Amino acid sequence: MAVASITQGGHDSHGEIDQLYIETRELRLQGFLLFLVSDCVLFSSFIFAYLYLRNSGQGWPPAGINRLDVAFAAVNSVVLFGSGATMHYALENWKHGNFMKFAWMLIFTIVLGVGFLCGQGYEYTNLIFHDHVSWWGSGIFGASFFTLTGMHGFHVFVGVCYLTVLLLQSAGGVYTKDKYFGLTAGTLYWHFVDVIWVVLFSIFYLL
Amino acid sequence: MAIAAAPHGGGIADHIHPEPQSFVRRYVFSIDHKIIGIQYIITGFVFFVLAGLLAETIRIQLMHANGGFVSPQTYNEVYSIHGSTMVWLVVIPLLTGGFGNLVFPLQIGARDVAFPWLNMLSYWIFPIAGLMLFSSFLMGAPTAGWTEYPPISLEGQAGTSMWAAAIFLVGVSSTLTGINFVVTIMKMRAPGMTFTRMPLFCWGQFATAPLLMIATTALAAALAALFMERQFGVPFFDPTKGGSPVLWQHMFWFYSHPAVYIMILPAFGIVSEVLPTFSRKPIFGYKLIAFSSMAIALAGFMVWAHHMFTSGLAPYLQLPFMVITFVIAVPTGIKIFSWTATLWGGKIHYTTAMLFAMGFLVLFTLGGITGIFLAAIPFDLHLHGTYFVVAHFHYVLVGGSLMGIFSGMYYWFPKMSGRLLSEKLGKWHFWLFFIGFNGTFLPMHWLGLEGMPRWVSTYDPQFQFWNQFASISSFVMTAGILLFFANILYSIRFGKVAGANPWGARTLEWQIPSPPHYYNFKHIPTVYGLPYDFSQPLPYRGLEDELNDTPPPVAAGAH
Amino acid sequence: MVEKNAPAVRLGRGFWIVTAVLAILAIASIVFWYVAPIYRWMHLPVAIATAKQVDQLSRFMLATGSALYIFVVGYIVYFAIAFRVRKSDPPDAIGIQIHDNHKLEFWWTVIPAAFVVLLSVLSIKIWYEITLAPSNGLVVEAIGHKWYYTFRYPQVNGEITNAMHLPIGVPVTLNLTSADVIHSFWVPAMRLKNDMVPGLVTQIHFTPTRIGTYQIICTQFCGIDHSLMHQQRFVIDSQANYQKWYHAWQVKNAKVSNALPSTSGASVNLAAGDVAAGKALFAQKCTACHAMAPFTTVKYGPGLLDVLHDPTHPNLVNGQPANPADAAAILEKGYTGTMGSMPNAVTNGLSSQDIANLVAYLNSMK
Ligand code: HEA
Ligand code: HEA
Ligand code: HEC
Ligand code: CUA
Ligand SMILES: [Cu+2]
Repeated sequence: MAVASITQGGHDSHGEIDQLYIETRELRLQGFLLFLVSDCVLFSSFIFAYLYLRNSGQGWPPAGINRLDVAFAAVNSVVLFGSGATMHYALENWKHGNFMKFAWMLIFTIVLGVGFLCGQGYEYTNLIFHDHVSWWGSGIFGASFFTLTGMHGFHVFVGVCYLTVLLLQSAGGVYTKDKYFGLTAGTLYWHFVDVIWVVLFSIFYLL
Repeated sequence: MAIAAAPHGGGIADHIHPEPQSFVRRYVFSIDHKIIGIQYIITGFVFFVLAGLLAETIRIQLMHANGGFVSPQTYNEVYSIHGSTMVWLVVIPLLTGGFGNLVFPLQIGARDVAFPWLNMLSYWIFPIAGLMLFSSFLMGAPTAGWTEYPPISLEGQAGTSMWAAAIFLVGVSSTLTGINFVVTIMKMRAPGMTFTRMPLFCWGQFATAPLLMIATTALAAALAALFMERQFGVPFFDPTKGGSPVLWQHMFWFYSHPAVYIMILPAFGIVSEVLPTFSRKPIFGYKLIAFSSMAIALAGFMVWAHHMFTSGLAPYLQLPFMVITFVIAVPTGIKIFSWTATLWGGKIHYTTAMLFAMGFLVLFTLGGITGIFLAAIPFDLHLHGTYFVVAHFHYVLVGGSLMGIFSGMYYWFPKMSGRLLSEKLGKWHFWLFFIGFNGTFLPMHWLGLEGMPRWVSTYDPQFQFWNQFASISSFVMTAGILLFFANILYSIRFGKVAGANPWGARTLEWQIPSPPHYYNFKHIPTVYGLPYDFSQPLPYRGLEDELNDTPPPVAAGAH
Repeated sequence: MVEKNAPAVRLGRGFWIVTAVLAILAIASIVFWYVAPIYRWMHLPVAIATAKQVDQLSRFMLATGSALYIFVVGYIVYFAIAFRVRKSDPPDAIGIQIHDNHKLEFWWTVIPAAFVVLLSVLSIKIWYEITLAPSNGLVVEAIGHKWYYTFRYPQVNGEITNAMHLPIGVPVTLNLTSADVIHSFWVPAMRLKNDMVPGLVTQIHFTPTRIGTYQIICTQFCGIDHSLMHQQRFVIDSQANYQKWYHAWQVKNAKVSNALPSTSGASVNLAAGDVAAGKALFAQKCTACHAMAPFTTVKYGPGLLDVLHDPTHPNLVNGQPANPADAAAILEKGYTGTMGSMPNAVTNGLSSQDIANLVAYLNSMK
């Protein structure tokens, strides 16, 4: 079974790490992926709701509401995707034992993540105070936009916290070159958040 | 699984934690799947009694065309909480968290589920959510049924938000359980326990777990939206603010149709264990039964709008839903026919568990056939929202899921407690329940056809006779259930000692002591075949020490 | 394979006898459903043309369903009796060790599948007739309220609040909507219902075929008095009686509406309307409540795409015929109906010219 095939690959088979760890990692990885699947369903449901409301024949954006500012959001998206790239390199560096590089890359990721959140905060402030579009007061537009992007923003926020914990943990020697499941999970989560954003960006700003 | 070939051995299967000694760690915040399963079962039955008392309140109210037992407001609260509790706090937790936890890790030869701590968390969310749901009575319970269609649910009292929060929590618990079960079945089977050798109860759980994971999350989204709309005025469903009430129906039924399969697939699994055991025959058509569970689970995602034929969907959109719903009759039929064929040529032992399994076949089939009727749009345009629907779903839920649960209780109670339930009381339970059940719900078919709508606290006097008939029959059913509880309370102290395998069953859980040790197996067995071949020796190796006094495996010590 | 104590795989004579008995019972049950006057027992007359077809489908399903059920339960009961362990059996007796039978499995997949196809075809056929919209029927609106129905008829001001009358033999389209929460409109004698959803107009179509008085029942939970929402009647009259009833209403409501500020005769010169200007104004002032979509697309007010040209909606919401002058009157005076309030020209900030432009624009859309 899968456990056996793991032991074939890469440095794991040198016998540096024990069977228990390998099997546990397998379980956690699968569990974590399934968690992401169900999280994805959560987003999908709200996306369905948004598309359903959007197509209920009222025109979009509804009267009195301007189209969203694509340019700014595009820049902000680039920031988020950039952080995806740095996260990728962070993990690669860890795997190859370049721990300093890893740390820098992870810090970049966190900074970019915070940057994205600031951008979103700026966008929200603008919408609320300048365009008078609010979560509850602007009909289905406000409801779907703030709920979905807010949920995503919350995920980014959780991600930033999680990555910070990972940074501290790796500095504190929790992970080794061979045992770094937490870092894998963090990377997966961060990529997941990126992918969700691709979808949200397309359906809110481009569609 | 090539554990033996792995460089060091010493994987999860050899990693045994010492048994906790304190009462709290052992029975309250336990991480042992068997204890958690029993916790689920006890809690589930407590809620069953509460929801059953609410059901009897419904039936007493409907004894008379003018009602009069409770106020209409209370009546509406009563059936809403009755439905919600039965679905989310009784049947789903009993079948997945309860029997799932208790049985399937034993059946696949695992020491526990993949994430024991998560399992404990799933369990503890459930009673808390249940208390929240019932506390909604204090602040004005929801009245719009278990489906809580807006806009009426937006007007509901404060308890409606509490309802949404409680069901959301149950959903979180179900999702975690689903993840846990999928990973356990994928990764923790004993050596040789391939997918085509897995007992059918495990297949039932394996088909259910993805539904728990995916459908439940979709419900969570709907509930969150309803909650936000009620509490913060964020418009999703209110038509005066541009929202759409029909959107809720899509989101709700996208969950709740798969949910009805969450409530039946594990029961199918139970029946698939009980029938071969007491017919002393291999299950007929093992592969097709396993496969059809998966087919039903998959198709279950594509039929939700059959609850919405009258909701103003574009007519041409309704057609595919109707046809796919019909198609579900095919895999379900395969199961029914295979179970019937399992009986043929058997040596049938009439234990109570077997009676309930056979009662399941008879009643579920009727409920399934009326389901097919309802799926036909022209028929549904007549009968949607009437007692015919109530009859349909009680046949599948009570005659199906609940009968399955009772069968499972008589079957596995010895494994949980080490003692047998009284067969004599059990048979009384069965017959009172079976007769009372049919007397209660069979007349609802014609009540619906004749024009009695659902959700009514008073009704046209022309329906009074059959309603009284139903109510009185429901007391007979209640008497049967009382005997069941009496049986449990009696047998847990005075029942016959069961021994490891009182039924002569062949799945793995019966090859170890009752109740099993904390670590389940002294040595993880190796599996060589399907468990159902009564003419063959048991297809397991490595079980020799389970029933003797050899010392338990060494605990790996605290980490 | 060693067959320990196991009997051989063979269907005995008993099996065939039982099969024959079950076949007879199944046929008897089919005959029963076809001869039994079930709907008469149930006091459910057939009030419209398609109800009969629905009954035929129900009969077909009840008949085949019972036949199927008799077979399943019959075999279960027979096996339960024939294959019970007996006192004489050794304690370790086992049944026939058979795992499957591909031929059998093939047939019990194919036969239900074929049945599913048949059922689909039958249902789709009837579904098609039920949903078929008549081209020139009478259009009536029914609106659900907590906890009663109101009806709007062409050329009648205001709403009828007790029984709903329809002439026999004339195709009808019923537009259903709701003023508050979801209700439903069910006439058991029609074997037909549909929900009344606020913010949405749904339709049912039928042709009455039997004179009589029938119940209308709400089957969607709508609040505390949902149980009582079955007291209004659905009356099918002869053509002559219907005309009498209809004119009585028209006259009565004409009086009533004279007492109200008249909505007809707006003081606007419609000829001067400019479509392009109207379009711009519409986007600016009206889209908050109206979509440029069919009447049934309700945003807050109804969709206005073909408001002046929609055969299924020959009247405006105030009961006046859908012509430019009456539309202009609504724009000028406003109107409060079941969907809510349409503001008047002052509130909307419309000049006479604006109204003319808007009406020209509305008239140009279809
Ligand atoms: C699994 C699910 C399940 C189960 C088991 C049941 C069980 C029963 N149900 Fe229910 N029911 C639903 C799910 C279920 N129901 C749902 C989903 C709805 C829809 C709600 C809605 O419209 O929103 C519904 C609605 C519903 C209605 C329609 C209400 C209406 O529309 O107005 C009725 C009416 O008769 C009814 C009756 C019953 C009865 C008599 C039982 C009986 O079988 C109950 C028998 C059990 C008991 C009676 C408990 C017995 C125990 C004791 C009494 C022991 C006492 C305690 C001790 C001393 C230890 N149910
Ligand atoms: C355990 C729960 C459960 C199960 C298993 C089912 C199974 C099915 N249900 Fe049911 N259903 C409910 C629980 C369940 N349902 C509930 C709770 C509601 C009401 C919710 C509410 O409004 O409150 C409901 C409502 C409901 C409706 C909506 C009615 C309405 O509100 O207007 C419909 C319509 O299509 C439907 C259809 C079906 C079908 C086709 C199946 C099929 O899966 C059945 C398949 C089984 C068989 C067909 C029998 C065995 C097969 C054979 C012997 C083979 C040969 C048969 C044929 C070829 C016909 N159900
Ligand atoms: C505040 C919301 C609102 C605004 C703004 C509004 N309407 Fe309306 N309108 C309504 C409602 C509500 C109705 C339906 C009244 C009823 O029957 O209940 C309606 C009805 C109408 C009708 C009759 C439709 C029919 O099918 O009979 C016309 C025509 C119409 N509006 C045109 C307009 C135009 C043109 C404007 C822009 C100047 C406009 N409305 C602005 C709410 C509004
Ligand atoms: Cu109106 Cu129920
Ligand atoms: Cu369904």
